[in-house]
Amino acid sequence: MWADPTVTDGASNNLILEAVRLASRLTSADGQVREASCFALHSDVLTCIAASGPAETQPRGPYRTSEQAAFDRAITTGEVVDDDAHVVVPVAGEAGVGGIIVIEGTGGLDEGQRTALAAIARIVSLGMRQAATVTELQLEAERSRRLERLKSEFLNIAAHELRSPLGIIRGYASMLGDGTLPGADNGLALSRISEKTDEMARLISDMLETARLETLGLELELEPVDLLEIVDNAVLAMRPLMGPSHHFALASTRDDIAAVADKRRLTTMLTNLIDNAIKYSPAGGEIEISCEHDDREATILVRDHGIGINSEQAHLLFTRFGRLVTPETSHIRGTGLGLYLAREIARLHGGDISVRSNPDSGSTFVVTLPLA
Amino acid sequence: MYRLRLVADGYSVVIGHDGREGLRLATDEAPDFIYLDLRLPGLDGFEVLERLRGDAATRHIPVIILSNYGEPELRERGLRLGALEFLVKADTNPAQLSESVERSIGPRALPSV
Repeated sequence: MWADPTVTDGASNNLILEAVRLASRLTSADGQVREASCFALHSDVLTCIAASGPAETQPRGPYRTSEQAAFDRAITTGEVVDDDAHVVVPVAGEAGVGGIIVIEGTGGLDEGQRTALAAIARIVSLGMRQAATVTELQLEAERSRRLERLKSEFLNIAAHELRSPLGIIRGYASMLGDGTLPGADNGLALSRISEKTDEMARLISDMLETARLETLGLELELEPVDLLEIVDNAVLAMRPLMGPSHHFALASTRDDIAAVADKRRLTTMLTNLIDNAIKYSPAGGEIEISCEHDDREATILVRDHGIGINSEQAHLLFTRFGRLVTPETSHIRGTGLGLYLAREIARLHGGDISVRSNPDSGSTFVVTLPLA
Repeated sequence: MYRLRLVADGYSVVIGHDGREGLRLATDEAPDFIYLDLRLPGLDGFEVLERLRGDAATRHIPVIILSNYGEPELRERGLRLGALEFLVKADTNPAQLSESVERSIGPRALPSV
């Protein structure tokens, strides 16, 4: 006996398997137990979900319906087909035929066996529909769990990550307001306020984009763009966040890199990568950004000389809320959304982001984007 | 930011950028007062507080926790470990910070961690 391990509902699986076993015992005239299989039909493809028979039963297929004339006929007519090699019984689905039971071997079935088969097909139909319902419920439960987690992580971000720049803004504003700040420091206070306001705006935008991605999905607003211009703008926007010992090194071809892309989203992707490079190189150093392209794709590299990470853990960086927190990095604030969103944005454009990194030698994030 | 205000109010301030530096400054500078953040590289603020309290040389120095966190459990833990007050950064403007130190020691020198 064989049952499809991808049918996740055990009760439905057993029901289908028992029904198929019963079908295999509708013996031929010479008293042999036959091979019986059950196939589920999804967009013209038949996938075996249960099999039973005298031999060590292995699943057959998958088949395209057009490959097997008898299967195709049973599905299109909704009638039992007996072609001497198989008896094929259609199984009712949500709308129309949802699968078939195939009994192999020559020597047709008598009237009583046919009636029994029709009953077996009804049981299988019930099992398949139940399995589909359970799967749907499982997906729904999984989705709710994700949203629940999203909600609690957002509360956590609001409690910590949003409060931190807010505290600084309030503090400087209060000193400007009550005149307690020495005059020479007014410029500093204003630039810190503006920096922290930008940080809050980026945080809120990352939260909203993540929420949208989870619920409705992001729809790109595509237009002809010059990738170099987007890179330049992202660098310009992030320059105020650099420490005194950071500096940008930009290397790129001088020609425009024409692409069709979502300018705002690509800017978010790049500012998130640059923000990450600045945050995780607390001792400063060069942040190198380079763009290359050929006819098919553009490659943007963002490289820092910071603390780096273990290459085995690198993939965790791109998971939602995935932050690698060690005693050395625990004080660095972050939401775990920046790199996740950056990669989702690259992927929505048909590209991707990967990372090469070693502890102490910094990280290089590689963005590839297809060019139209 | 807090330093600017404290200096303007006549205090002298030294800053430790991580837990270990803070502990070293607490011993070397023998400050009158310590502001302690919780999220620090290496040693976190609670560990720093425990060590300050465990060392005869620093045991008597008043400590106020100044953090981005405001959860009641953290507040309770900080106070249990001997912090004088627990201030949340977002709710504390620099003037209030200066007042908090005046409440305990009056205008003099203080390092913060």
